[in-house]
Amino acid sequence: MNFTIINKQILADNIKRIDVSAPAIARRAQPGQFVSLCCEEGDERIPLAVVEADKDKGTITLIVHECGNTTGKLGAIPINESIFSILGPLGVPSQIHKKGHVVCIATGISTAQLLPICRALRRAGNRVTGIIGAKTKRKLMLEAQMRITCDKVYIATDDGSYERRASATDLLKNFLAKEKVDMVYAIGSAEMMQTVCTLTREKNIPTRVQLNPMMVDCLGMCGSCRVKVGGQMVLACTDGPEFDGHHVDFPDFIRRMKTYEEQTTWDNPRSRPNPKRNEPGTLTKFLSDILKG
Amino acid sequence: MKGCPIGIDIPGFIRHLREGNIQEAYERIREANPLPSVCGRICSAPCEAACILTEEHAPIGIRALERYAADLGRSRPAAKIAGRQGKKIAVIGSGPAGLAAAWELARQGFAVTIFESLDRAGGVLRYGIPDFRIPRKVIDGEINEILALGVELRTNAFIGQTMTVSELLEDGYSAVLMATGAGVPKFMELAGANLGGVYYGEEFLMRLNLMKATIFSRQAPTFRVGEKIVVIGSGNTALDCARAGVRFGPVPSRQGRCRQVALVFRRTEEDMGVRADERQYAKEEGVHFEPLVRPIEILSNENGFVAGLKCVRMDYADSEGKGVWELAPVPGSEFTIEADTVIIAIGHHPNNVVARGVERLTINADGTLWADGQTLMTSVPGIFACGNIVTDAGPVVDAIASGKRAGKSIIKYLG
Repeated sequence: MNFTIINKQILADNIKRIDVSAPAIARRAQPGQFVSLCCEEGDERIPLAVVEADKDKGTITLIVHECGNTTGKLGAIPINESIFSILGPLGVPSQIHKKGHVVCIATGISTAQLLPICRALRRAGNRVTGIIGAKTKRKLMLEAQMRITCDKVYIATDDGSYERRASATDLLKNFLAKEKVDMVYAIGSAEMMQTVCTLTREKNIPTRVQLNPMMVDCLGMCGSCRVKVGGQMVLACTDGPEFDGHHVDFPDFIRRMKTYEEQTTWDNPRSRPNPKRNEPGTLTKFLSDILKG
Repeated sequence: MKGCPIGIDIPGFIRHLREGNIQEAYERIREANPLPSVCGRICSAPCEAACILTEEHAPIGIRALERYAADLGRSRPAAKIAGRQGKKIAVIGSGPAGLAAAWELARQGFAVTIFESLDRAGGVLRYGIPDFRIPRKVIDGEINEILALGVELRTNAFIGQTMTVSELLEDGYSAVLMATGAGVPKFMELAGANLGGVYYGEEFLMRLNLMKATIFSRQAPTFRVGEKIVVIGSGNTALDCARAGVRFGPVPSRQGRCRQVALVFRRTEEDMGVRADERQYAKEEGVHFEPLVRPIEILSNENGFVAGLKCVRMDYADSEGKGVWELAPVPGSEFTIEADTVIIAIGHHPNNVVARGVERLTINADGTLWADGQTLMTSVPGIFACGNIVTDAGPVVDAIASGKRAGKSIIKYLG
């Protein structure tokens, strides 16, 4: 099988959208499923959500945040080159039912995972409200697509550079106080999903979350994506990634996510900041010298 | 002869070797064994236990002889297969059992397709066994030999998830053989098993085997391995993890200091379920054995990483006074092993994702597929199962034997 990159687009800071030709996957992919991708033979495999699947063209759309070695390598593959292997679609498809009013909330890169679910929920006849959060305006992505998909979209940025200055969970809290909500769908960092679940548990609103732990083979054989759900150890790759948020053992999940975070900062630097970037360049120095007189 | 589950003519091939006919010996082995150079390396060698010289002095080193013949013998170009049968057969999983079944079927002229979820064939031989036990070249050679019989290999096909068995049957396959093995790790009920730095044996070996995660690779390591490694378990997987840990070499940040690897298990060394020579190799490489020890808790440091392993010593004791001597913890013998990486390798569960989407398929309580003891047919006609998905655990020879049996049974079924 030949997985050729058809198109690429830079969506936001370090975030790229990649269209790959994969007819067999495009035919089967359902919202909430993901693929396991390997850029070169012998590379690390990474799970990526299928954002869009075009059956007619036979392409799938992936959105990748270049934050490490493998994702950086994937982002660097040019158009018309092919990816070594893509296995998918994996995971259990999301439960999409007509519930009434559904609030979908995501932060950062997780907006990419949320978009197909919003679309499916809307298609099932729900009223969908989207809440997306980002660090700054530059990191905000898929705003237009979300605005088309959802009935109403609220946007929060941490530094107030766009729309409201708030966190996404704060917006959700205010929103839940005002309106009647039948279901909440949350994707994001472990802490954010925990906050959402605490909020909805008070009001007894059913909540679905998508967990994204570290995965090695995505076939249910390594056990690195084990999470505790309802007191039972399950694998996010074959039993998930979607779970009932009220049953997930978040403290345990957060601890496992953190250990990997620390590990990546230890051994595998997330981003290599250019040391020269912070100090002023030659031209700036020259100009400031002149201005100072 | 009857000691070998695959039925290799052992006296026959040894006679050829004694006369110096390596080629003849190789062909004699190949008649029965589809993976001779793999078996020559990692077989548990029940034949040596059955050897009549075992009682007198020591058994003949049949495994080593097989390896010698298999490595030096050259295979002839595939013989012309008698009449092609039009029937297509799907084999799911390209591990030892699947390969053996495909070999058996392809020799009878069936059109066999092997479905493999990873990008290379080999199954557990490739992802679960480190390359110091089977070099990758050997696996490639054996697989090419089987593919040369006209077997088709489809990679990136995770049956049960990206395709279902029902679809295969609709697609024109007359029979489906499930040989997906037992690859799901058994989770350990141990406090602290979710800390950072705790790996299951499968994850550790997979990262090592599939992802070039050694310090010699040109990439940055994809996971962290500390200086003091503790492996829990007493099987072959545990021993492989321990030996691989030693072979990681010195810690990069501290020049000259080698990694210390300890192997912790509940039984005595003789009961380990590993061949004595494998045990010897591990000891020579510097693995520290801690027999008769049961882990109680994995201790954590302030960052949520492993700091140590709290254990208790075990000993045989007649606790109830009935004359039944069983392993029991020795009171007051708790001690702590310093560790920064813990690898848990205590066993596997069968991988039955393949059964998703197939109705009326009976799955036993322990996760194995139910299959008829004689024909290896599951509760659905036309679907067969072999290897560790039926038996839950077992050595490579048993998987090969089971694959061959399933192949014969499919031929009989299709008539």
